[in-house]
Amino acid sequence: MSKQLITLTVNGDAYEVAVEPQQTLLEVLRDTLNMTGTKRGCTAGSCGVCTVNGERGQAILSCMALAVEWDGRSLTTVEGVADGNELHPVQQAFLEFGAVQCGFCTPGLIMSAKALLDVNTDPTDADINVAMAGAICRCTGHIKVKKAIREAARVLRAREVSDGAS
Amino acid sequence: MQLPPFEYIRPASLAEGLQLLADRPGDVAVMAGGTDLLLNMKFRLESPKYLLSLNGLTEMQQVEEQPDGSLRIGAGCKLTDLANNPLIRDRYPALHAAIESVGSLHVRNMATIGGNICLETRCWYTNQSETWRETREGCFKTDNQLCHVIKTASKCHALSSTDTGPVLMAMDAVAVVVSADGERRVPMVDFYRDDGIEHTVLKPGEVLAAIVVPPPNGHTVFAKLAQREGLDFAAGTFAAAMTGSSEAPESVRLVMGSIAPEPRLMEDGARILLSEGFTDEAIETVAGAARSALSEVTNLFTPSGYKRRLIRALIKDALLQLRDQAENNNA
Repeated sequence: MSKQLITLTVNGDAYEVAVEPQQTLLEVLRDTLNMTGTKRGCTAGSCGVCTVNGERGQAILSCMALAVEWDGRSLTTVEGVADGNELHPVQQAFLEFGAVQCGFCTPGLIMSAKALLDVNTDPTDADINVAMAGAICRCTGHIKVKKAIREAARVLRAREVSDGAS
Repeated sequence: MQLPPFEYIRPASLAEGLQLLADRPGDVAVMAGGTDLLLNMKFRLESPKYLLSLNGLTEMQQVEEQPDGSLRIGAGCKLTDLANNPLIRDRYPALHAAIESVGSLHVRNMATIGGNICLETRCWYTNQSETWRETREGCFKTDNQLCHVIKTASKCHALSSTDTGPVLMAMDAVAVVVSADGERRVPMVDFYRDDGIEHTVLKPGEVLAAIVVPPPNGHTVFAKLAQREGLDFAAGTFAAAMTGSSEAPESVRLVMGSIAPEPRLMEDGARILLSEGFTDEAIETVAGAARSALSEVTNLFTPSGYKRRLIRALIKDALLQLRDQAENNNA
């Protein structure tokens, strides 16, 4: 099968990549662009470790997306969440609350949580449950993850207030 | 798991896609959101020569109110967009509940309502990796004349897993089916077939283009149980619609899902509620009858005895909710 040249914008940088039709977004990110922050888990759409965020910030499963379908589109991966050396509040909160154990699911959890916080900085526990149901951690459990997300939301709300005041 | 190789076709319009489909009979898989098809392809349950992607065709992503008050929902609408659409959230609560119950949010951000309606049937023996499947003989789904679930079966008994299908049947929605030859409309109650392989009435070359939902009328309910809420396929679903009062209903339609290759209309149960009203006894009878009607079905992701009890509880609970709705509205 012939390769097709696509333009993919990842974390603000445009890349031209030749992809085969059967290559998933996950494979192109990891194996072609060497951006291995996004993890390969079940590759069957159930675990959420491959979560990246689309142009509207929505959490999608890169293992279930064809790279060719992302021609001309942009996405954010875990590599694009921090602002230089300054961690995003959700990353900082994951650190502080010990919401990371082995760390393999963390990129997926961060991207899933960020997708929620981008549109809702005051989520209820139910909102958090819905946003995180498709991103599974097998070792640390989800309690600390939820605590971290609530803390990140608090920080983001405080920022909104100070931004509004300045 | 990696996908098998295929040739990717992305038409600029639905009409172009239908023509391509007509020109290449067989060997073409139609993809919408991809969350079901790509998974089956990774499992090598399908290895199409061509993959025709309708993903992102804006003409298939419209939600339009019709002059008669009905709602035409494009089959290509993403489930998340539909869940956030006030026309659905405020006017069709049962459909909204069914949409929100599909997979995880990640899946709903990618999957379409058309894909959920046409969702491939699933079976414990077949929906496994190729290596796992090789440890036993093939079945109807994998080019053999055999069912591992029901040894004496003459056809595939894989289960329907669509969450939106049962609600759309209960609400008497109509499927808009298109091909290069034109359009036909199929009531959702006639859309499914009791066959794990040919599980819808879609013929080669045909595509589900839209769903037309009648104007809101009366009361509706949707109930679902799954092992892990918000991620798993349903262990059982139930949808019901009624008009009139709970004592003297004018119409009742009940549908069970995830129990057979097709969502199943419960006509006997509807008749009981129509003649007796939503009394405690009638509700008990209907739920109990559904439980025994399931005895023939043994192709289950959950043990059959557990599933029969589950379905009974699910139906009873949903019918009580429906009665509450009807009574509170009438008060």
